Amino acid sequence: MTTQTSAGGRTRAPAAPAPQRRRHDDRTAWTFLIPFLVLYLLFVIGPTVYAFILSLFNGSLVKPGLGSWAGLGNYAEAVESSEFWSSLWHTIYFTILTTPPLVVLAFLFALLADRAVRGRAFFRVAFFLPYVLPSAVMALIWIWIYTPALGLAEGWLSAIGITAPTWLGDPNWAMPSVAMATVWWTLGFNFVLYLAGLQDIPRELYEAAAIDGAGPVQQIFRITIPLLGRTTTLVVVLQVIASLKIFDQIYLMTSGGPNFSTIPSLEYIYDQSFTNMRIGYGSAVSMLLFVVILAVSFVWFGIVRRQESGV
Amino acid sequence: MAIATTDTTLSVAPTGRERATAAAYDRRNKLFNRTCTGVLIAFALLWLVPVAWAIDTALKPNAETTKVPPTWFIENPTLESFKTVLQQGDIWKWYLSSFITSAATAAGTVLFASMAAYALSRLHFRGRNWVFAFILAGIMIPGQVLIVPLFREFDTLHLLNTYWAVILPQVPTAIAVFIFVQFFDGLPRELEEAARVDGASAARIYRTIVMPLSRPAVSAVSIFTFIWSWNNLLWPLLVLTNPNLMTIQVGLATVQGSYGIRYADVMASALLGGLPLVLVFLLFQRNIVEGIAGTGLKG
Amino acid sequence: MLAGTGLALGGCGTLGAGITGTPVAPGTVTFWDLFGGGDGVRMADMLTKFQQGHPELGFQHVTLAWGNPYYTKLSLATLGDQPPDVGVSHASRLSTFVGSNLLQELTPDVLAKHGLTPDKFSEKAMQAVTVNGKQYAVPLDTHPFVLFYNTDICKKAGLLDADGNLKSMDGPDTFVQALTAAQKQGGAQYGGVVAITNETSTNWRFFQSLYSQLGGQMLADDGTKVVVDEAKALKVLNYLRDLTVTKKLMPPNVDYPGAIALFASGKAGFYIQGEWEISTFQTAKMPFSMTLFPNVFGGDKYAVQADSHTLVVPARGNDPTRTEHALTFIRSILDQSLTWAKGGHIPAWLPVANSTEYKQLKPQSNYAAAAAGAVYDPPAWYSGSGSNFEIITGSAIATVRAGQASPEAALKGMIANLQTYAKTPSPV
Repeated sequence: MTTQTSAGGRTRAPAAPAPQRRRHDDRTAWTFLIPFLVLYLLFVIGPTVYAFILSLFNGSLVKPGLGSWAGLGNYAEAVESSEFWSSLWHTIYFTILTTPPLVVLAFLFALLADRAVRGRAFFRVAFFLPYVLPSAVMALIWIWIYTPALGLAEGWLSAIGITAPTWLGDPNWAMPSVAMATVWWTLGFNFVLYLAGLQDIPRELYEAAAIDGAGPVQQIFRITIPLLGRTTTLVVVLQVIASLKIFDQIYLMTSGGPNFSTIPSLEYIYDQSFTNMRIGYGSAVSMLLFVVILAVSFVWFGIVRRQESGV
Repeated sequence: MAIATTDTTLSVAPTGRERATAAAYDRRNKLFNRTCTGVLIAFALLWLVPVAWAIDTALKPNAETTKVPPTWFIENPTLESFKTVLQQGDIWKWYLSSFITSAATAAGTVLFASMAAYALSRLHFRGRNWVFAFILAGIMIPGQVLIVPLFREFDTLHLLNTYWAVILPQVPTAIAVFIFVQFFDGLPRELEEAARVDGASAARIYRTIVMPLSRPAVSAVSIFTFIWSWNNLLWPLLVLTNPNLMTIQVGLATVQGSYGIRYADVMASALLGGLPLVLVFLLFQRNIVEGIAGTGLKG
Repeated sequence: MLAGTGLALGGCGTLGAGITGTPVAPGTVTFWDLFGGGDGVRMADMLTKFQQGHPELGFQHVTLAWGNPYYTKLSLATLGDQPPDVGVSHASRLSTFVGSNLLQELTPDVLAKHGLTPDKFSEKAMQAVTVNGKQYAVPLDTHPFVLFYNTDICKKAGLLDADGNLKSMDGPDTFVQALTAAQKQGGAQYGGVVAITNETSTNWRFFQSLYSQLGGQMLADDGTKVVVDEAKALKVLNYLRDLTVTKKLMPPNVDYPGAIALFASGKAGFYIQGEWEISTFQTAKMPFSMTLFPNVFGGDKYAVQADSHTLVVPARGNDPTRTEHALTFIRSILDQSLTWAKGGHIPAWLPVANSTEYKQLKPQSNYAAAAAGAVYDPPAWYSGSGSNFEIITGSAIATVRAGQASPEAALKGMIANLQTYAKTPSPV
């Protein structure tokens, strides 16, 4: 990547025909902007506003129009609904189950890979290949692995004498099973991020530390981890935000079951809007989830700001 | 910490002197490194197991897959499952749909986002900062807020079950604009200044100077958009309910129940479904990895 | 070579359809169902016969996962203007579909052209497919909850009569005695087994059969009122709890496949489930027969939970050719009702139901009378086979049968959850 100039650094336009120039630029600029802006308004901003409006009514998927006025009724219903809160909890539970392994393991593997002089391409393929698989492919493979009696998971556990749970069919094990599959699936992305960050740390630092008598482990804790602070923050935040929007794996592997025990917020929205056909209520729930995601993003923003000023 | 690594000016290729120092350092830690590599190889092999198991299953006749306990050994290896899936025909339609929607999304995104970014980065106009902020705000909007209103919208336009329903909402990606703006901001302006003086229009400059110089950004955005569109599940699931139009994701997700216990067929369809992107990855590995790394370093 | 050209042409057709939203292959009949397992295999046979009998029509078939996933996709497809020509709908889901304007009305004259007149179907079946005086579906079968019994175990327990048929199980004590006998004298590990874990529909059906024998109702006014008779409900819940927890006649924690395995391997004398599992046990080659679900509480009014599969034509404009093809297909399927009946279902098509071949089908004909006593799920927008209604009730009942909750607590929770749905304004 080339060096970056500061964002505001633009050369000043020649002073001469300034007003005319600016007007001409105006027209050209808008010509360039219009295609994007039209689609943006039609398919991003417009729908967001419409979603908010929908949330104030009792709309039905199969009836035209907005439906009867609900005011804040849908929001109240969501907040009072145990299903809403349990789906939020499931989302958080999923985040808790996946984020630590996805950060720590990826970091660990990147560390090890950094030390490996050869074969880095092999490791990259091994860990990153799952990431390019579409979620439906990943889900089919893991559903097969988790199949009772016939699946590899039970096969391996039985071989060492442990009775396997029914994985996706057991309310206690369903979410951890999905989490394990997710870790396999997406670790590669963080691995690549960490590896790049690691390779950017100048060798001299390790050199100097080694001369001072620090062993490899100490070097990791004193040099590597602090210097990767930015990367780690990025990895964690990306992970958390992606987890808040989780849908694919759970929908595909457990359909939110067994008995609604794994359903995450986004699938709850899908169920309410498209199975129960209550698009007003579904929109209200999606707005609430929006607020949660915004809050998390702002927290990240704050942390990054503090990190930048701290360094 | 005295040393700041906040900028990206460190070159990727080490200099001669750095290489010599690195070599000395490695020699000293050879045993540690060897252990690390060994452990990593073990994990990497573990990571390959699921796909390997899928391939193993797909190469068995369906009857063998229901043996208890499960075994890696294949008594009668066969490509029958792959043949079944390919001949059944749906997967070709799914390939076509995925390819069309993803390619069109990638092309559209690159074109519209780069045009908008060019205006924001290079052209002076009133309200530039407002427009930029307006577009950036879109990055914050999560997809789930949009699924219901967008469904309604396409229902009203009678565009459900068409490729447009998938492509159009995916094209206006704010983050693509952001990436292009950042990239354009970093391009040297001399060539453009010269062209301006020669009387070239903005459109001409965009087409003949700026875009050719933007190959890295274009390739990163198009590859990532292609992959992301290919892997999109929820939205296409809602709008593509005609089995002839489904993308790979929707097709695999929808008919996953109908194979019953023909596990070899299921695995064959999964592997065939994942194949295109695996090929994309193998072909564009460098770009993909650099793209991700770039994100990280930009932080 | 030919396949490649076909593929290319098909590809162009798809491309065009994807861009303009036109139908992909006119003159094709598309059929969506939710039949997996044994039902799926049987339906596949019937579909092959249809194609052989109608080579002039193209045919496309998709099977989707049973329950909400199937119904959601069917709704979405209909909203998306490209539904299948024929779909399957449980009778209990019809009122919601009709209220959503997603089904095409089947007028008497069009039906008559294909011989699908009301006199060819049982009265109960016709009632089930008529909403607001109009017909919206063609009945295919009734599938009630039934009693499977291991003939060897029951013989040893002295429960079979001179002809080798099961003696009457009517009455709460008689049923318990039979289960005890199967366990003690019959030598089975369990008197009977009924799935509990990770299963909602089974638990609901078990409860509903007994509860409706007492005359209890669940919902009224299209689901806007919860009218559960708590005394009757508690009576049933306590009875169920006795079977598993107190008297230990049935295992308190077995899932759907586990229950099948227990019965198939001879470890349980009785098994209760929908009749569709007949194929499973026939394949397992075990000694079994089937009969009506016992009349435990009903006295002279027999009742048992059941639902019906019906064939529907999802709304898509009002194309007469499309309707024509759809009904041709439906007629062909009905003509093969005997094959379908071999899978355990009670045919709604009277020419087959009244035929000697069906009457000779054993053990299927043993429970044909269940169709007359069938109790369908109460009509509500959130009710029907595999719906949220069944999930709420089924999971509450499961906790009682598993001994995890007291009947009072579970019932309270169930009613509260149902109230939430009852109060919610209906989207249809």
